[in-house]
Amino acid sequence: MEFELLACGGRQIMSVIAPTFRLSYFLKSILDNVFWIIVLVTLVGIPAIQIVLFYIEMPVINGELLTPFLALTWLADPSRAIPIVKAFMYTDFFRIAVFPGFGLAALVAAGTIFVERKMLAKLQLRVGPFYCGKVEGILQLAGDGLKLISKEIIIPAKADKPIFWIAPVAFVGTAAAFVSLIPVAPGWVVADVELGVLAVFAVIGFFPIVTVLSAWSANSKFPFIGGIRALHQMISFEIPLILSLLGVVMLAGTMSLTGIAESQEFIPWIVFLPVGAIVFFICILAELERIPFDLPEAESEIVAGWLTEFSGMMYGLVQLGTYLKLYAFAALFTVMFLGGWSGPMLWPPFPEEIITDGIQLGPITATIPGLPLLDQAMLNGVLWFLLKTVAVIFFILLPRGVFPRIRIDMLLSLGWYKLIGLSFINIFIALALLYAGVLGPGGII
Amino acid sequence: MADAVFLALSVLTVGSAIAALEMRSLIYGSIALMGSLGGVAGFFFLLDAPFVALFQLAVYVGSIAVLILFTVMLVRRELIFKKIEDKRRKMAGIGLMLVFLVSVGALIMSSGIHQLESDSPPIDFREIGEDFLVYYWPALVVMALILSGAVTGALVLARREVENGSN
Repeated sequence: MEFELLACGGRQIMSVIAPTFRLSYFLKSILDNVFWIIVLVTLVGIPAIQIVLFYIEMPVINGELLTPFLALTWLADPSRAIPIVKAFMYTDFFRIAVFPGFGLAALVAAGTIFVERKMLAKLQLRVGPFYCGKVEGILQLAGDGLKLISKEIIIPAKADKPIFWIAPVAFVGTAAAFVSLIPVAPGWVVADVELGVLAVFAVIGFFPIVTVLSAWSANSKFPFIGGIRALHQMISFEIPLILSLLGVVMLAGTMSLTGIAESQEFIPWIVFLPVGAIVFFICILAELERIPFDLPEAESEIVAGWLTEFSGMMYGLVQLGTYLKLYAFAALFTVMFLGGWSGPMLWPPFPEEIITDGIQLGPITATIPGLPLLDQAMLNGVLWFLLKTVAVIFFILLPRGVFPRIRIDMLLSLGWYKLIGLSFINIFIALALLYAGVLGPGGII
Repeated sequence: MADAVFLALSVLTVGSAIAALEMRSLIYGSIALMGSLGGVAGFFFLLDAPFVALFQLAVYVGSIAVLILFTVMLVRRELIFKKIEDKRRKMAGIGLMLVFLVSVGALIMSSGIHQLESDSPPIDFREIGEDFLVYYWPALVVMALILSGAVTGALVLARREVENGSN
């Protein structure tokens, strides 16, 4: 009762603060807004657009150079907008920023964070995020992001400031470089490197540098201990990781990731090289600092490990980089062992009659040129790729609900003895299959 | 275009090499060393040898530089050696280096090397691999033996004595 009374009182006070409505004031405010919009658009907006357009190379569509006027005309007419969208989709910018690049990876990463929290809660008979967004806490991630952006960034007083500022950005940059090497569908890859596997090794090598530099620059003991642990862990698990991929490279006969994905059109390599797949998966867990190998971030021992001193959006950037890295490793597992985008055709074909006859709505017939926007094979490939990647991500998340953290000496002996030995066994299996003439270039299968 | 990239890479490589020597902070010195090694990788890219360039990145920047960083972080902050600043000695060093580089450059420019031009495509790494397996196989076997000896030695050195029969 008291609460309601208070609320009523509040409303009364509010009504006092707001001025009484007068039509002339209302019209004046609208006219003011219109005036300022016109002034700003003519003096700032249009010149800025002109300057930008001067430097951008416009595409040629249907034999016509796409001027801004033409683009606006076509976009206003939905039946002619599709060629513009299509031309945009084959630009480098779209590849880097949206589809096989950053946008897709960030979307998968965001989904992973939410699913991880919810799934762990279900595993441990908790509720998990629940209140944000009413339905099962679906807006929790947006809330967390807003919180991180609005928080203050605190730099430790005796930190080494340049390195400390650069480290989160460099971490995200390295993860993004890793993402750019992953082929998602035939022809849909940001950087189609001929030596893709080697490029992956070169990029992975930058993670320990960034980690240990950021840990050192914070000038605090918990980050430093965490950074040294991360260095030990990443360096010692990089070797079996590299060795376990060599078997696949031998059998596929190429180092390009696209070529490797194409080489397993019928049978994925995990059928022939299960040992390598298992070793690679364990190395992924260690490289990603996931439980049971989360010693660098062990929150019950060293606060948050090498992330301890990060605050606000710097912490957010490191988390974004971590989950981008998780997506990239899961996608790499898919490409190397699970066959990438290959799979039976599930995607329905685009209806022919819409291309030939157009869409009929009662008396109106709209023929839309430029359809279909994306071909069936590509959509099917993306579907299979995402299904497999999500399954791998699920298996990466699963141990967190089950296993305890292992000791660092057990971790190192696992990495240096057992996994390296197993990856050599994997190489010998691959060699045996190759020399027996079963697989590989010119093999039976 | 290639000239501009070459100049930028030269400035990066030489500049960060000088910085690596002259910086007072060991950490920044090792970061500068990383920049220098990365510049060398860039030269390999310019020379159409991506295989060597990626290995340069993976091994030198990714492993050797990390090793140096790791070592630097474990030493104490205070300098072990007292460096005696002597301006004239520094100038003499710079002069000696300039004389040496100019003379080597003059030698190279007057020799026939810089006039070499060829239209043949760069050698593919696959050909090198085939040569290693067919014509130079003894060298390959010797390298494999040395590497496996090194791996075994590292494992033996790293092995702990089993205490109380449990690991």
